[in-house]
Amino acid sequence: MVGPNVTLTPLSRADGSASYQCPSTGSNILGSVNAPVELPGRRDALKPEEATVEVFVKPGTAPAGVGERYVEGIIKTMISRLILGREKGYPRRGVVITLAIVGGQSARRGDSYLTLLPALLNTSLLALLSASVPMSMTFSATSLAVTSTGDILREPTAEVASSAASVHVLAFSSKGHLLLNESQGAFDLDTWDNVRERALAICRGTASYGSDGDVTMSVDVDGQPLEGTIREAVEDQVHRDYAWSIDAV
Amino acid sequence: MNKEAPLSIAERDFILNALREGVRLDGREADQLRPLKVSFGEEYGHVKVQLGKTSLIVRISSEVTKPHDDRPFDGLFTIALELTAMGSPAWDNGRQGDLETYVTNTLDRVVRHSNALDTESLCIMKGVSCWSVRADVHITDYDGNLVDASCIGIMAGLLHFRRPDAVVKDGQVIVYGLDERVPVALNITHKPLAVTFHTFDEGRLVILDATRKEEQASEADVVIGLNNAGDVCFVSKFSGSPVDAMVFVNKTNVALEKVKEINGVIDKALQADLAKRGKGGLAEQSRAENDR
Amino acid sequence: MAPAAAASPAAQPTPPSLSLPPSQFARLQPHAYLLAHLSPPTTSNHPSIRANGRAPTQFRVTSANTGSLTHTNGSAVVRVGETAAVCGVRAELLHTADIASWSVTQPSTGSANKRRKLVDPTLKASETAGDGDDEESSDKDESHIEDLNLLVPNLSLSTGCAPGFIPGAPPSALAQSLSQQILSLLHSTRLVRADDLRIWYQPPNLGPEDLERHNESEQMDVDAEAEGEKNREIKAFWVLYIDVMIISLAGNPFDAAWASVLAALRDTKLPKAWWDIDNETVVCSDAVSDARKLSLRGMPVASSFCVFEADAAAGWRAVILPDAEEERKIAEDNRRGAQRRWILADPDGYEEGLSQERACIVVDKEQGGNGKTVVVKMEKNGGWAIDGRELRQLVDVSSQRWDHIRQILEQC
Repeated sequence: MVGPNVTLTPLSRADGSASYQCPSTGSNILGSVNAPVELPGRRDALKPEEATVEVFVKPGTAPAGVGERYVEGIIKTMISRLILGREKGYPRRGVVITLAIVGGQSARRGDSYLTLLPALLNTSLLALLSASVPMSMTFSATSLAVTSTGDILREPTAEVASSAASVHVLAFSSKGHLLLNESQGAFDLDTWDNVRERALAICRGTASYGSDGDVTMSVDVDGQPLEGTIREAVEDQVHRDYAWSIDAV
Repeated sequence: MNKEAPLSIAERDFILNALREGVRLDGREADQLRPLKVSFGEEYGHVKVQLGKTSLIVRISSEVTKPHDDRPFDGLFTIALELTAMGSPAWDNGRQGDLETYVTNTLDRVVRHSNALDTESLCIMKGVSCWSVRADVHITDYDGNLVDASCIGIMAGLLHFRRPDAVVKDGQVIVYGLDERVPVALNITHKPLAVTFHTFDEGRLVILDATRKEEQASEADVVIGLNNAGDVCFVSKFSGSPVDAMVFVNKTNVALEKVKEINGVIDKALQADLAKRGKGGLAEQSRAENDR
Repeated sequence: MAPAAAASPAAQPTPPSLSLPPSQFARLQPHAYLLAHLSPPTTSNHPSIRANGRAPTQFRVTSANTGSLTHTNGSAVVRVGETAAVCGVRAELLHTADIASWSVTQPSTGSANKRRKLVDPTLKASETAGDGDDEESSDKDESHIEDLNLLVPNLSLSTGCAPGFIPGAPPSALAQSLSQQILSLLHSTRLVRADDLRIWYQPPNLGPEDLERHNESEQMDVDAEAEGEKNREIKAFWVLYIDVMIISLAGNPFDAAWASVLAALRDTKLPKAWWDIDNETVVCSDAVSDARKLSLRGMPVASSFCVFEADAAAGWRAVILPDAEEERKIAEDNRRGAQRRWILADPDGYEEGLSQERACIVVDKEQGGNGKTVVVKMEKNGGWAIDGRELRQLVDVSSQRWDHIRQILEQC
């Protein structure tokens, strides 16, 4: 499977930015992060000891609605837990994450945002890294659909997802914690365990879990784990940015 | 914080004094555009515009809706522009600032009210169904001259966009998928573009396509919207200090020259994109069909 | 409870004159207060219990009441402890002539499904195939509900339901995302059948036909159905406006809101409606005996949880966090010693303010409660305490909750 197409810091005005294209769903997300910034308009909402995280999702070809507010809530809850909002310079300031869906389908009203959610999460992470916001750990997210016959499909398109029995979005931290789970549609926990295992293989590879043959097989199917792709993208960018000092040594 | 950080006095003086000597910060002539790059995405109507350091993405989309009751023969066309913190840290997400209102208003007048897109051609069945075309402008980087850049993006998008073919048969509207029938180009009556000038020193100095810093240092702006044929469809002198009437007369000629230049860039990009798509076969036919 | 709290960390060394009453301690040091309740000193005989007197997996007292609003087609009031939600369902007619996309077809959909919105035919096929059981025939056009927005839930947090909700404010992000959660749960559980919402017209040569005839429960001759299908035409739809109002918010609004939606939909009766060919309009019968109830698919019940952490600062402090493997080991060790985190069911407002990690599980049981438990929605976000094992436990708790809620709903 082809990995995602990642560009770090494509924009010049925002403090940090990233573009992320998921090959299987075709969605292309452009994300920007401004941090730390003053938020004078939200004075009552600012927390005295911590940074305030704001997430804004802008759909590509429609006005924003309740679906966007909901997915913003999910991203915000997850990211706020990872940002070290008490580091110097962050309390009473804002971390503003703006995500625009610049390619691929937008969700219609009432649609679940689940198929777009992993791309939005991964873009936010890359943009946060690009803006050098301190974080306790990184993460990677993926979505899986379970068809009525029990097959697990990776990163389904909106059409596939709407005909699937259940759709799952999972995010794993760089330390292997399950950070987020959003499952929709009828399923039982045994199915979910399989989904979790497959998602872990996609996100983090199976290096530490490769005990039975089944799992090692899925490494070939899923190619390089997402976490590795994200890490490499950042490493490449750092290498390019510091080429002058590396060459000088 | 809906305002950009103001220029320092030293910076303002530097820009002004340089202009008085006929020099701009980036070394351009007074009537020179920044390098313009127009490129298209995989989808129809997906345009990326890069004008110097200002960049934006325009996406055109269409759907079938019911026309307004008072205009049963007209389709709908909307331009949606929202400034987010992505374009500039000074913009607040979800709050409308003055700039947003101003730019949306100007774009509406230049593109929509000049009837660049023939809305009557979007009618499918009188009073029952029509196409609703929507242009979403995503500002990704802001370095001055939003109006011109957005205008370029919207016009290029409209020219590039193809809507699915629709046929009426026994009171039934049949919409053919993009892979079933050659999609249809929109009916563009003319190609208006906006050209923005900024004035300094009580209108004595006039420059074209100002950057953000030049905009901040300027006294007033003049927007002229016109098409390739030289028909003026929009003139505005919105705020700031007075400008000599002769500026409008003189600069309209400059604007016409620029509109032709920009339309040339758009056409070139369109042709390059069509040639790329032409390998698929379907697109080549569509071009022949829509050249009327 | 109170002496245990007052006796722990804060009050001990201070002279008696300065000791705080429990209510003040709860406000000044909320985290320490709840922690003191959950992990009482080993020397005392107090059991580990939440500050509100509940056990960790205990839900608040829940009550439901239906049919209290007279001008709605169905309504319910659900109270979960101090949180109260009112839901009213109003049905309105939507003529197909007013739907712009109604007269639109895609050629590949074929003549059989002529009057239908743009839907990918392959997608439809797999959806019906996937459905499997007895609902096959009614499911053909299930996408009507989603495509035409026949279910319109809207949730509002009324002024004064909790401090901080001022009059005249635009809908908060919380209200908007709760509306979205209800909408997507209605869609994903397919609770309402599209067939209940259709108003058909049968050309007279076959004689007037009742809606009841087409209930999927009735066994029909295949030929007769095929013939009927050909001439039958959908003339209008019922649109259900589901308005939820949280009149009192003391934590966990989603469970209460969803329970009220479920109860209200169970209570909803639609009047008998038919197409009057002479007047070209839909006519409704005002006889109460003609009205029929919705036949819902199953009874999904939501249960929410939050995680309370002993170390409030664990999340943000720039220390090295244990990775998942180490975490499990620590958890094992701690099983014997002091507990570090508690998963609290049905959190109240006070507990919600002290926790970041949330989980919400919606379960249903097959065959009206005798079959196995099916999870229809499972969410967890905001932390890393809940993983596979914990979710398994929570699903068990949720399925007990299902039995409980069913009793309540069946009584009202």
